[in-house]
Formats: sequence, structure tokens, C-alpha cells
Amino acid sequence: MTNLDQYRESLKQSGLEMFELCEKQMLKSKEAFLTHDSDLAEEVIHTENRVNALDLKIDRDCERFIALHTPVAGDLRFVLALRKINFDLERVGDHAFGVAKYIIEINTPIDLKLLENLRFEEMYDSALSMLDDIKEAYIHDDTKKARKVYKKDKVLNKININAFKVISEEVKKDPNLIDQYLLLFSIIKKIERIGDLITNIAEEIIFYREAEILKHQKKKKVRKPKE
Amino acid sequence: MAKEKKESVIESSLKRKYKLQAKDVNVFYDDFQAIKEISMDIKPNSVTAFIGPSGCGKSTFLRLFNRMNDYVDGFRMEGKIFIDDQNINKKKVNVELLRKQVGMVFQKPNPFPKSIFENVAYGLKIQGLKDKTFLRERVESSLKQVALWDEVKDNLNKSALALSGGQQQRLCIARTLAVEPSVILMDEPTSALDPLSTAKIEELIHELKDKYTIVIVTHNMQQAGRISDYTAFFYLGEIIEFDKTNKIFTNPEKKQTENYITGRFG
Amino acid sequence: MNNIRKNKIKDQAFKALGMLFTLFGVSVLVILIYNILRVGFTRINWDFLTSLPSRKPEEAGIYTAIIGTLDLMLLTVIFAIPIGVGAGIYLEEYSKKSKLSSLLEINISNLAGVPSIIYGLLGLGVFVRYFNFGGSILAGSLTLSLLILPIIIVATREAIKAVPPSLKEASFALGASKWQTISDVVLPSSFGGIITGIILSLSRAIGETAPLIVVGAMAYVPFVPHSLFDAFSVLPMQIFNWTTRPQQGFAVAASAAIIILLLITFVMNGIAVYFRNKWQKKLK
Repeated sequence: MTNLDQYRESLKQSGLEMFELCEKQMLKSKEAFLTHDSDLAEEVIHTENRVNALDLKIDRDCERFIALHTPVAGDLRFVLALRKINFDLERVGDHAFGVAKYIIEINTPIDLKLLENLRFEEMYDSALSMLDDIKEAYIHDDTKKARKVYKKDKVLNKININAFKVISEEVKKDPNLIDQYLLLFSIIKKIERIGDLITNIAEEIIFYREAEILKHQKKKKVRKPKE
Repeated sequence: MAKEKKESVIESSLKRKYKLQAKDVNVFYDDFQAIKEISMDIKPNSVTAFIGPSGCGKSTFLRLFNRMNDYVDGFRMEGKIFIDDQNINKKKVNVELLRKQVGMVFQKPNPFPKSIFENVAYGLKIQGLKDKTFLRERVESSLKQVALWDEVKDNLNKSALALSGGQQQRLCIARTLAVEPSVILMDEPTSALDPLSTAKIEELIHELKDKYTIVIVTHNMQQAGRISDYTAFFYLGEIIEFDKTNKIFTNPEKKQTENYITGRFG
Repeated sequence: MNNIRKNKIKDQAFKALGMLFTLFGVSVLVILIYNILRVGFTRINWDFLTSLPSRKPEEAGIYTAIIGTLDLMLLTVIFAIPIGVGAGIYLEEYSKKSKLSSLLEINISNLAGVPSIIYGLLGLGVFVRYFNFGGSILAGSLTLSLLILPIIIVATREAIKAVPPSLKEASFALGASKWQTISDVVLPSSFGGIITGIILSLSRAIGETAPLIVVGAMAYVPFVPHSLFDAFSVLPMQIFNWTTRPQQGFAVAASAAIIILLLITFVMNGIAVYFRNKWQKKLK
């Protein structure tokens, strides 16, 4: 393996590390929330430092790669995509961190029926599966897998839109629950944002592999990958 | 008494932070000053690149470390050059011995008009090493290090001049390695080669770093970026900046360095 | 007539002229050789080569002359090569470039052009008279050595100069001493050039007559020289002697001897050219 390939491989590994770190953060936040486990939440908060440190490291390493190896073509698209993926993953981690913070701030556990009404767990699971899909797409440079996440994102959007309706109805029935509902609403927004971030990552992977920019375009177009 | 001795051995090996050092060096060719007050410390097992425009003293400075400038008429030096903490310009230093410790690879491949085997074995034969088995082993291991062995192992008696340019240069490197130096000086080793051969030799330098201290003069800045740990920017006989390559290429201290690196040099 | 046409005509004219001159030179040579062959070819036989010279043209042979020539060449080589090559190496590799050394360089080249009879006078004074060697093979070969020494020195220097300095650099960079570099790198590479120079200078020496006359090569030597101090004769001398005789038989014998001499010269030059080509190929 040449020096250039070694460096690129190590960048890819760092990206994978970031994926796994943020995935874990999301999993832990979900569990901590559903079981109201404040210790687990503390763990997530503590790990946020590692996420930030890794984000900085990847940024620096990308800069170094560009300065020292003057990459072109596939190598260049890879490092440009990685920078954006890294940025998006850091935001995902940030949202997971936000959820964990809520758990610490709110003392009482959430009513399980509320969660069911809002299809909370389903939404969270969808987001987690999207993250897993996109991680696999990243590892194998698989644009087909990357495109899968668009469909799942629609589920997230649907639940998000629905949540507003459900909450406004339920609050009229029992105004005391408004605090909990507002909290749940914020978290649902966060998960919806996570879904958007993951579709961004999908665009980056597709750009890197196919040199095609899907940003700001209709996502329905299906192109044959370059190989 | 024995305890004291032990401590100083440990001390001295710890002290040996630097493999090569230059202190307040000035070089003159008759009245022309080629090097102005340069001091430099080079760490062991690193690759240091010298970059800068033509005629700015890079090759001259490089050649101070194996005293190849001694052959140039009018050469005069002030200051000190140290290798492993020894001043190499002292009268008692045996120049031939020095050059077995410090090898050199030149810009244009210069194999001897002898066979491939004879070329690699040359440095050993002039030391009086005659044992055939030993020579064969050393030639084989040197050619393996430069990834030439498989290409030439059945043709060791063929003339070295029959090889391609890239192969000849790798042969010259093997010839240098056979003597088992600890420092390798390279004066624009790939500027006369095609891109593929250049890439092979850059890979080689990357692998050699583990065992040798390498200093390379190069006109190709991207090459310096790709293979070196430290870079020194020379201009008109002075060192403008000397730092980690990463720093020089992402955020150099001096404006002059930045201008040169970005190609804006006037 | 425009420029292009003018140039074309000049081109053709030069070409034609060149061919004419070449043809002229070649045809002179051809006529010469033809004449010699016509007169002397039939005279050549084994008796001719192995007989001693005689007052009778039919019995005269070139045995002494050939032996004399060969002995002389051998001795000359033994004296001239070590001194000439050694001096060439010293001057090219060891002496510092200074006004004195440039003066030396010019003068050595000049010596190569000095008329050979001057060398004969030198040899007469120094070897024949002062050292008392007499008109012997020893004196003759020493004189010829002096004659070809400058040629060998210059040829050695040129051959050494032709070795790319990059090879010497490579050798020094590997820790070789000056002498090791010279003996292991420079000399093997310049070997062909030096040999060429030696052979060419010998083929010149073979034809030298004037200095040998002065030194005392005899025209009539009816015995084979046995020691260094014996009198001797050489082919050119023999030819010269026979051409001065009135008998037609001697003219024929002279032509035959010339053929032999030319043959030897051509063969030696051929060998020199062969070596030079091999040497040039090696350096590429």
C-alpha cells in the first residue's frame, strides 16, 4: 500500500470511529430516556468531549491530507466528503447529547402512553436504523445502500408532522401534561433533524462515489454509479 | 568508578537527540558566499527535505555532511558539522570512513559500467571485504530493500547500463545501502526520472525511514510534502524557515515561505 | 532566383565537391596500393620472410628486418607504456590545476609534433654516446619510447577525461580513496581509450626511419640480433636500403617489403579501431 493509500485508509478509519461513537451516543440516549436512567445519561454527557475531540482531529487530519498529498479526483472527493460527513456526525452526536441533558433536567419519567401516541420509539428506531444503514454505506462505498435512507427519512417526517397534531389534541384533553409534551416535542424535532443530517451524509457519499451533486435537487433521481 | 562510567553511557545516548547538526556554518567558493550562518539540527530516523529556488545552497549544504565539497576548487568552510556528536571536519577524521556512514544518491543515476552485482558490491570490495558468500548475501539484501531483486536476480552479471533509468537509480540506492550507512543524502534523486519511477522511489524512501536518517534536496514541493517529516526552505544561502513539514505546508511562519510554497515567488 | 533555390544549389554543390575530394583521396590510395601490389606481390613467399638480407636480390629476405621490428616494438612498449600511462594518470588526476600545469600540458602536446629526427639526435647524444649503448636495439627502443611518450600521455589523459565525473563522484561517495577510484573505476573505463592510443602510437613508431638511422640502425645486418646491445635493422630501413640499390630485383623486393609493412600497419590500426569502438559503446 502506498503512503497515500495508508493515509487515506487511516482517515476512513477515523470516520468510522466517529460513526460508531455517535451511534453509541444515540443508543445510550434512547435507552436512558425510555428507562429514565440518569447514570446512563451522565455517561452520554461525559462522552460528548470525546466526540468533539474526534471531530477536531478528523478536521485537522483532512487539512493535513490536502496540504501534504495534494489529492485529486477520487482522493479529493473523498476528503471533501469526509469533512462534511464529520461535521454532520458531530451534529448527530450533539443532538444525542441534548436528549441526555433533558433526562438530567427533568426529574419525572415520561408517561409511556404518551410515547406510544407519538410513535416515539418507532421514530427513534427508524433514525437508528438509518444511521446504521448509512454507516454500512460508508464502510463499503455503497451508494445503493446510501439511497435507502431517503425512504426511511419519509417515515421520520411523517411522525414529526403527526406529532404536532397529536400533541395539540392531547394538551387540550389534559393541560397538566404540557411540560412533558413540550419536552417530547423538542426531542422529536431533534430526531427529525438527525434524519436530515443522515440524508446529508448520504448525499456526500453519493458525491464522493459518483461525482454527482444531489444537494438541492429532487431526491427521486436514480443514476447509475460510475464504475 | 564503574558506576560513573555506566551513567555517562546512558547520558550520552539520551543526549544524542540529533543525528546531524550544523552550527553557524558559512561556506565560500573563493569570494562568493554560498551559505550564510546556517545552524540546523536533524533528528534520527526522519526524512528532512531541503526546498528552495535553484542555486540557493541546498546541494552545497547537503554535501557538507559527507564532505563532497572538498573536491571543489576554492571551497572554504567556517563553523562545525556534527554527526553523532562528532565534528566531521577535524583533522583526525578519516573521510573515507565518514562516507561509509553517510551515503549519497545523485540526481542523474550513475551506475558504474560494470555488472549489477559488481555495482552493489563495490562499496564492500573497496573495504577489503572479499568473502563471496558474504558479498552475495549483502547484494541480495540490498537489492531486496530497493525492490529490484525479483527483477534482476537472474541477471546479476548483466551490465548495469542495460537497466532503465528508474531501475538504475534504485540500483544506485542499493549500492549505497550495501555499505550499511546510517545517513542517506539524496540530491534530487527523482528529477531525471519518469513519474512511475519517481513514485516507486518515494515509496522506497518512506520504507527506508525506519532504519535510516534521510536528507533530500528536491525541486518538487509536492514531493517534499509527500515524503518528508521536516522541511527547510533555503533562499540565497540562508534558511528562511525550518519546521515540521505539516506546519510549513499549512501555516508557515514567514511570508517568504508562503510565497514560495504557493508558487507566488517573484 | 530566390533564397530557397540558392540554398539548395549551394547544398548540392557542397555535396558534389565533398564527393570529388573524397574520391580523389581514395583513388590516390588505391593507385598506390595497386602499384605496390603489382610489383611486389609475387615476390612474397616463405623464403622471402625467413631469409637474411643478401647482396643478391633473389636471395634477399626480410627476416632480420622483421625480427628487428618486432624486438624494437616489444622493447619500446615495455619502456613507454608504464611511463606514459603513469605520467598521464598523474597529470590528469593528481596534479593541481595551475599555470605551471597548463604550461606542461601545452608542451607535452607540442612534443608530439616535434620532427622525429630531433628525437634521433637526442637518442644519439644520450643513449648511444653518453650511456655508451652504441647503435643497439636498446638505444633504438629507448629513442622510440621518447618519441611516442607524448602521444601515449595525451591519449591517456584524453581517455581519463572522457570518464564522466559523475562516476568518480559515485566512487568517492561510497568511501573509496583516490587511488581506488582511479584503479577500480577510471582506469577500467578509460582502458579502451588508452589501448587505442598505445596501438596508434606503436603503428606510427613502426614506420619511423629517420631517428633510427641517426641512432645507428644498420642497413645491412646479415644476422639476427641476440642481445640488447646488438646491432639491428627494421623494415623501413630495409626498404630504404633496397630502394637505393640499382638492381631491379631489389626494387621488387622493396615493394614486397612495403606490402608486409603496410599489412602490419593496417592490422594494428584495425585492432585500434576495434578497441576504440568497443570502448565507446561501453561508456554509453
